Amino acid sequence: LFPGVRQAQWLTKTKLVEGLPPAVQGILDNPAHGLQELEERAKHAVSHARLWDTAEVAPRREQYCPVLFENLIHICRLMSGKYPSLSKRMLARNCRIAATWERESILLQVRGLSGILMNSMTPIPPVASKEEILATKEHVLETFYPIAPTIDLQEVNVYKELNDTGQCFADGYPYSHPHTLFFLESANVRTDRFRPEQLRAKMLMFAFGNALAKARALHGNDPKVLEQPVVVQSIGTDGQLFQFMVFQLNTTDLVSNDGIKNLVWIDSDQNLYEKAQCVPEVKKRVVTKPAGIFGFQPDTFKKFLALYLHGTV
Amino acid sequence: MAALGARRLLRPGRRWLSETVPGAPSPPASPLYPPVVASITAKSKAAKSRRLQRFKQQVHAAPTVEEKLRLYGKLQRPKYMVYPQTFALNADRWYRSFTKTVLVPGMPPRAAAAKPPVAAAGTTAEGGRDPEPGAEGPEAAKTPEPAAGAAPYLDMDELRSLACDALLQESFYQNKKRPFLYRDQDHTPGPFLTQLVSTLAAFLSGRNPLLAASSLDLNPEVNYYWHHGEEVVVHGHRKGRVDPVRFQIDDNPHLQIRVPKQLPEVVPLESDLGDVPVIDHKPSKLPLFKKQYENKVFIGSKVADPCCYGHTQFHLLPDRLKRERFIRERLEDQIEVVYRSNGIASLFAWTAAQAMYQGFWSEADVTRPFVSQAVVTDGKYFAFFCYQLNTLALTAETIKNSPRKNICWGTDSKPLYDVVEDGNVKGFNDEVLLQLVRFLLNRPKEL
Repeated sequence: LFPGVRQAQWLTKTKLVEGLPPAVQGILDNPAHGLQELEERAKHAVSHARLWDTAEVAPRREQYCPVLFENLIHICRLMSGKYPSLSKRMLARNCRIAATWERESILLQVRGLSGILMNSMTPIPPVASKEEILATKEHVLETFYPIAPTIDLQEVNVYKELNDTGQCFADGYPYSHPHTLFFLESANVRTDRFRPEQLRAKMLMFAFGNALAKARALHGNDPKVLEQPVVVQSIGTDGQLFQFMVFQLNTTDLVSNDGIKNLVWIDSDQNLYEKAQCVPEVKKRVVTKPAGIFGFQPDTFKKFLALYLHGTV
Repeated sequence: MAALGARRLLRPGRRWLSETVPGAPSPPASPLYPPVVASITAKSKAAKSRRLQRFKQQVHAAPTVEEKLRLYGKLQRPKYMVYPQTFALNADRWYRSFTKTVLVPGMPPRAAAAKPPVAAAGTTAEGGRDPEPGAEGPEAAKTPEPAAGAAPYLDMDELRSLACDALLQESFYQNKKRPFLYRDQDHTPGPFLTQLVSTLAAFLSGRNPLLAASSLDLNPEVNYYWHHGEEVVVHGHRKGRVDPVRFQIDDNPHLQIRVPKQLPEVVPLESDLGDVPVIDHKPSKLPLFKKQYENKVFIGSKVADPCCYGHTQFHLLPDRLKRERFIRERLEDQIEVVYRSNGIASLFAWTAAQAMYQGFWSEADVTRPFVSQAVVTDGKYFAFFCYQLNTLALTAETIKNSPRKNICWGTDSKPLYDVVEDGNVKGFNDEVLLQLVRFLLNRPKEL
């Protein structure tokens, strides 16, 4: 109905910060990681996914979106030749997530297939400092009076309050910390895909759900302020536009509207490339645009890689 | 008078003769008439051979590889569809005769310098290696000492834990719904194979710079079209004509790794390591069926991709070819045939398509051998294959002149583990993992 992220913020008691957190920005700016050489490989990855992958003339979005994601993840994973601790990660596809919480006497719940989840053995260290966390006490969540904040949410009778990512994984799983969630909008028809704003809201809700379930598993079910905030990252794309998000859960006390809030850093609408020309465009027998990728932005890939490396570097 | 007239007549005759004999007229610089060759459009054998010559010249003279491929597969006729994963009995003999391949059991001997020694962490890794002829065995097998090339140790524990983690995640830790009917392979072994290969490739990329520049494809398509042998058209408006026998392989490996540099040759181009089986029956007796559709040659991505050589393919056997079925129907010896036919057919299609991407075809035979590897598995049992393509000349005329044969090395299927229960993997087999790691570490000698 109206910007979904604001609604999601109210529901998860979160304060929004534009841009990526300084820790991730530090990885981006650090030249020791050799991000320049990877530009060439990233360009090949995009060309492969958008142009070369199929024997037909042009692959459709259902095909190229997952292939692009796999190629980018492959490049990121190959960095574990340089950083051996990167091998302590595991991808899990088709995870089901379930988390419930109360928000001003309304019981809310997040359920469903949460895309592709990457887990690691070690948690991501908290991104915001203690002062920033305390400063969120002052922040007032925007309300949407007179519209109820639960508008457009499905009302369902819940018989079992399910509460785990442990629902997804059995006990004793070595890779127990959710690291990054990936969302691929790969439907061919535009109306079946989420718009960027809705995609960001979906990413926020699922990241919150995962973080909440992990926090409850670590610290118990009582609502309280967390000593060790839980950080979960999230990346969403439709094959061309990328949305990056880092979510930090500071408190599980979500009933009241005051007190410490959770934090989220969002970097939205990053284009990886402008256009992918599969067949050369010819106007009046002259080739105006040769086949290839136009307007490649290496920064978007660098942010992808920085979010991947975050936590181990 | 008569004598005068005769002399006058004689003189010009003599002069004419004397003019022609010494000074023979020089032939004109260009031929006066066009060369006398067979017609193009007539219904005769000479005309047919002239049309064939014209076609071959067109393909030879094509400016780009895409144009060559387009002309090569332009004419569509009914062709046999060859399936790499097939239940046909003794399919590997038939496939070897179609592709002129020699099957050598065991793995190819590799140079001793390219082998990293393995840290003996109290396991039977050394003792239980695959039987490998060559100098490699006595040198590095028994003692875990660094080789002369100072290659670092391969940490078996680390690799084993990676493999076990991947296995446990897919089968035990992640809560999944029950598998759909006859879709068991998509439920557990498929994701396990993907996880295993991606994590192992990432882990070993520090060791093998070729892997660091590789491209991983999930569920790619590999196609190849070729002619082999001749037959007489049986019925239809073309009845009675002699036609080449056309084959097409359309394969979907589970996973494949493509690299920008070619793998080194295993044996020289002209080596002869065995015999190719000769089968006197028609291919349709296998059973093999004919269909007419687009003649595709594809390695997994288009010609413009820089990663145009193949490294390793991974195939997952579907549910209908699982071991229990063969045992139930009392066809235990056919289990290995399934693995072998899959390895030979898929690898032949892949290497031949790679060769075509470099501009070689049946009339322009390969000048260097193309090598690729494959792992065929059903989730638990692994079989390893290495293929060297020495010749593409399989059509009826070119096969007479070419003594070269393609070579395929293959192992029998061995289990990676016995059983998974309660979060533990029981009976893990290190040799299989070691062979897989060796495959992934294979690289050209310069790197």
